[in-house]
Amino acid sequence: MSAVEAPAAAQPAAGERREILVARGVTKSFPGVLALDNVDFDVRSGEVTALLGENGAGKSTLIKLMAGFYTPDRGEITVDGVPLHADPAAAHRIGVATIHQDAHLVPAMSVAENIMLGRWPGRYGWLSMRRQKEKARAAVARVAPHLNIATPAGRLSPADQQLVEIARAISEDSKILVMDEPTTSLSPPEIERLFRVVEDLKANGLGIVFVSHWLEEVFAISDRVTVLRDGRLVGTKPIGELDHDKVIRMMVGREVRETEHKPRPIGDVVMRVSNLTREGLLDDISFEVRAGEIVGMAGLVGAGRSETASCVFGIDPYDSGTVEIAGRRVRPNDPKAAIDAGIGLVPEDRRRQALVGLMSVRSNMTLSLFDQISRHGFLSSALEEEIAAREIRSLAVKTPSSKVRVSTLSGGNQQKVVLGRWLARRPKVLILDEPTKGIDVGAKSEISELILRLAESGMAILLISSELPEILSLSDRVLVMRSGRISAALSRAEATSETIMSYATTG
Amino acid sequence: MALENTPMSDVAPAGHGKLPGLRGRISFIDLMQSVGLLAVILLGGGIMSILSPVFATVRNIENVLQSATIIAVVAIGQTFVILVAGIDLSVASVLVLSSVLSVGLVQFQGFSPEIGVAVALLAGLGIGLVNGLAVTKLRIPALIATLATMTIGRGLAYIYSGGTNIAPVPQFFVDLQAARIFGIPAVIVLTLVLALIAQIVLSRTSFGRSVYATGGNPLAARLAGINTERVVIIAFMISGLMSAIAGLLITARFEAGAATAAQGLELAVIAAVVIGGVSLFGGEGNMGSMLLGVLLLGLVQNAVNLLNVPPNWDSVVSGLVIAAAAALDVYRRSYLEAGMRKKVIATKSSRSQKS
Repeated sequence: MSAVEAPAAAQPAAGERREILVARGVTKSFPGVLALDNVDFDVRSGEVTALLGENGAGKSTLIKLMAGFYTPDRGEITVDGVPLHADPAAAHRIGVATIHQDAHLVPAMSVAENIMLGRWPGRYGWLSMRRQKEKARAAVARVAPHLNIATPAGRLSPADQQLVEIARAISEDSKILVMDEPTTSLSPPEIERLFRVVEDLKANGLGIVFVSHWLEEVFAISDRVTVLRDGRLVGTKPIGELDHDKVIRMMVGREVRETEHKPRPIGDVVMRVSNLTREGLLDDISFEVRAGEIVGMAGLVGAGRSETASCVFGIDPYDSGTVEIAGRRVRPNDPKAAIDAGIGLVPEDRRRQALVGLMSVRSNMTLSLFDQISRHGFLSSALEEEIAAREIRSLAVKTPSSKVRVSTLSGGNQQKVVLGRWLARRPKVLILDEPTKGIDVGAKSEISELILRLAESGMAILLISSELPEILSLSDRVLVMRSGRISAALSRAEATSETIMSYATTG
Repeated sequence: MALENTPMSDVAPAGHGKLPGLRGRISFIDLMQSVGLLAVILLGGGIMSILSPVFATVRNIENVLQSATIIAVVAIGQTFVILVAGIDLSVASVLVLSSVLSVGLVQFQGFSPEIGVAVALLAGLGIGLVNGLAVTKLRIPALIATLATMTIGRGLAYIYSGGTNIAPVPQFFVDLQAARIFGIPAVIVLTLVLALIAQIVLSRTSFGRSVYATGGNPLAARLAGINTERVVIIAFMISGLMSAIAGLLITARFEAGAATAAQGLELAVIAAVVIGGVSLFGGEGNMGSMLLGVLLLGLVQNAVNLLNVPPNWDSVVSGLVIAAAAALDVYRRSYLEAGMRKKVIATKSSRSQKS
């Protein structure tokens, strides 16, 4: 019954590796973004294929296509000749199981119930507890013999929850196991155990797709590496033909340094962050930003960049360390104190963190400026309009009026509204977290120019970005983060795509 | 009740495209909310004056407005709470507690009427403060926190009054009920003044702006430097104070410290606020529209009385009005979002054509 037979039975020779999943010419676009452009990809039985690429290279889209969340605009994905469509249940039926970054289990249900979720054995709606336990026990024995199948899933560690998901995939007779950054929340011994399970599944003929940012892991477990960049396939190579540097070069491509870097006068230290630590997220972060300086902060998603910004700006508490502005400590965990001290933040998710969609462009622009637009608590619409009109003009915000709802503007113009708020406030330090994310190319270059202008005017700038060209063209210095630490502080001369990527993924 | 839907659904889509100039100044759909309500009220009133000879008399209209004042005053406070995406179930209990205190302190303890009124108002503020602290500091959901104070408040009012009405009331209350300003009952004028002040606070002060921001997007408000916890606490305190004022009005109307009055009033108030276009999700609504919601609900109750509908049908009809208003709100919201999406896609495609 099972496509995956008992461990002893299956010993496929290297030559018998056949292609199970085949993607040909797959193209998928979303409004304003071409996520995948004519990509070929295949997964072979008994092999681990690593899928690599920078943030936004198209990995997630490809995974979602394989999991049946989307249908390609062009091209086709087949599993043993059967085409995949946008139907996650059907993807499971034809044998593709996907393990997402965070476990998708029902916390209150037992391990056994979770493994059999939606496929509870029995008739006429009556559950057969006996058969459920039998099937679950068989699957658990393969990957996590230490687990009791009666334990509620919510009480398991993240690592064990992941193993339960793998057990579910086995009990479904899956042919392909897609693992999206499975090691993110695991400790080294847990990773080792996971890799042993992967080796076992591989030996039994499963095709495994492994997505990870850690190149050590990729080299430890993979047979082949497929690299995507900007939605295009860079290439697929056997692991034996590659080394760290070659992989990084495939990921970042040729280096482009677009804008001419004009030296700016750099002043005194404005912001000094010392030994900032937050249990499990940030470990001893220290850096400073000077007047007129643009400090780039690079790293992969989850490396702790946004978390640093959150702690500095007082959104989240920290366990130890200090943040000083012009020599004075900033009270932690209080955004108002941070603003009063002279820090500004353009957050990563502007719709969630910066804008009140129901309110007008004008009201959003002046949301941090009550002291400038009110007397004795009463707002002056004249003062408010003056500030809004000035910023709309200087930033060239495309809006029919200052009184339309901010949610009717395009992403780039919404971002300009957030920037306008801080321009009017003139903070000593401006933290920009992914300032050009989800913004079209034209607005992107406008915002880059604006960042340069602000630095020229003497503002200290911390620029967090996942786009290496942006970091490279704007920054005077580059901090690279990895696993909650600053893994490198690079001068402008030292900073290249390769060095940054290398410090972000290894060492 | 089907009348509810017609003015909106017919006019809004057509007008949306025709009046681009207006959209810059006022949100067209917000305007439609008020205009739609007003149209329904006028139409309903017109039909009623044909069906019932009593309806269009000054006496009846005054009666409708007077009984609406109590719900309206409570609803002013409730609007602040709902604007910050909260809910206050304790309003009716605060109201009766204020009512029995304002009379009882004079009758039982022999304090002056001024002290009775002051203590009643302070009790309202106090319960509001407790609600606000429970929601912000203890992070208890507003529904649960105010359910607790609702039960406790009603219990305290029963204990203090012995479960019966306290009478007679100080002369002040008799005078308040009888007073007229330019021939209009003073309680109606007082209600309108309170609503006007509330609207000015909402639209013209930094606190009011903070209320909309906190309800519309609490995280963004906090990151913009607004003390959102304080805003929520003050909103609950305003609600407590308004309910206490309404307690004084009910004392004047019933000429008694009324421990058993206002059963289920909190639901009528929430219904009126929602009918008046204040979004239960927070961040959206104004006092003018809200008052029209109160008025519509009052008219429905009056119509049910005048048309000799069996009293038990009263709540069925009110429920239908609430359901229609809520459905209208959802429809309005999805229409707005659909319009927005279309617009974004249109600008995007025109931009990509250019490049």
